[in-house]
Amino acid sequence: MYGRRASQLLRELACSESGQLTAFNSDAFDQVIKECKEHNMQLQSLIRKIEDENLDIQTTRNEDHFGAVIHHLSLIRNKRCLMAYMYNRAETIQSLRWKVGPVLPQEIQEKLNYSEEEYFKNHSAAIESCMSELDLDLTVDMVPPKDPYIRVRVLDDIGEVCLGDHSISLTKHSLHFLRRTDAEPFISQGMMEEFLE
Amino acid sequence: MASGSGSGSGRWSEDLETEAAMAMGTTDVELLKRAWRNEKAAPEILQFEAALVLRAREQIQLLEETVEEFTENGVDDLVVSLYQMDLDRTLFLLRSYLRIRLQKIEKYMIHISKTNLWNRLSEQEQRFAKRCTDIMEKHLGQSVLSRLPYGYQSILKQSISSEEDDMVPEPQLDTFVFCKTKNAVGAFQLDDTGDEIVDLVADDLYVLRYKSIKGLVESGRIDLV
Repeated sequence: MYGRRASQLLRELACSESGQLTAFNSDAFDQVIKECKEHNMQLQSLIRKIEDENLDIQTTRNEDHFGAVIHHLSLIRNKRCLMAYMYNRAETIQSLRWKVGPVLPQEIQEKLNYSEEEYFKNHSAAIESCMSELDLDLTVDMVPPKDPYIRVRVLDDIGEVCLGDHSISLTKHSLHFLRRTDAEPFISQGMMEEFLE
Repeated sequence: MASGSGSGSGRWSEDLETEAAMAMGTTDVELLKRAWRNEKAAPEILQFEAALVLRAREQIQLLEETVEEFTENGVDDLVVSLYQMDLDRTLFLLRSYLRIRLQKIEKYMIHISKTNLWNRLSEQEQRFAKRCTDIMEKHLGQSVLSRLPYGYQSILKQSISSEEDDMVPEPQLDTFVFCKTKNAVGAFQLDDTGDEIVDLVADDLYVLRYKSIKGLVESGRIDLV
């Protein structure tokens, strides 16, 4: 109560590495929500007590008033912690779309709760819609280009891929000389690596 | 490369900005680089350079066609790769510029929607911002806000007794930024009380709070580095 559980949630966030998600702590989360309801009940009953004693709710400053204030402040602190927890995770999820792509690997998917999975899909769709309006893929070209073409080694069997006007067969362990922007999405998903001499 | 001076396209732009830029010897690529640098360094989103982006895309288009032509006609590989490099670099600037803006919108979506920063967005960015806010509201609403007691369910205010929208993340305008001015600005007042006055000399590098020079950045008289 009084914000202690909620700050545990935030400590979890603070301990994790930036850009990495921990598994969604639904137990702690639900507990904090319960505490909020508890605080609200206490708050309401104290307010009713003041009204029952026919005192002015706006100006009375007795122990009930201050009790109500403490419950109110704990409630909004819990709210701030919960919102911060969700919002920070949402920001990390947003960055995942830029870093990893439209499909999340299984290890990351497991850490999201249902609402976050939906959020990722919707947000991803919003970005894609914006990019298609602009007719530009903004998820490639993340670093300033040094060479227009790079050598890559294929790590996983990708098969036939159509790049530009010709198709290339990307089998495991094959080496290719591709345009950087064509290779970037594969590299960011870990299916190819740059072959540096 | 002076691709902005119209070599090959041979057209006089009626756009006053381009004429002025060309008179000063600044190509569109230079302007794009400057817009990109400013956007990267500024904590808040800046005015969308619609005309510049349009011209940059046209030039990218031109470069792509040139590269294709050259490859078909068997022009020397070195020349082709030089044009290709130029194309890649301009494309990178454009993509990075647009990407930085979208990421700023992601970060401060609610704040931008509520203030006159909204007017700095392009049409597509405004649509993106609206969509983002809707999605975020839905997500936070269903996971947190709808489960909280009545009176505490607002996404903007901590509770209905808050006097203003106290839950909206805002960009930090008093972060320090590096800046340089091409033309001397002279004595410049840094804050409201008139205590700190700085003499801004051309080509000198300064580290100042963004808030103090906001107006100069917006009018284009100072560049962020």
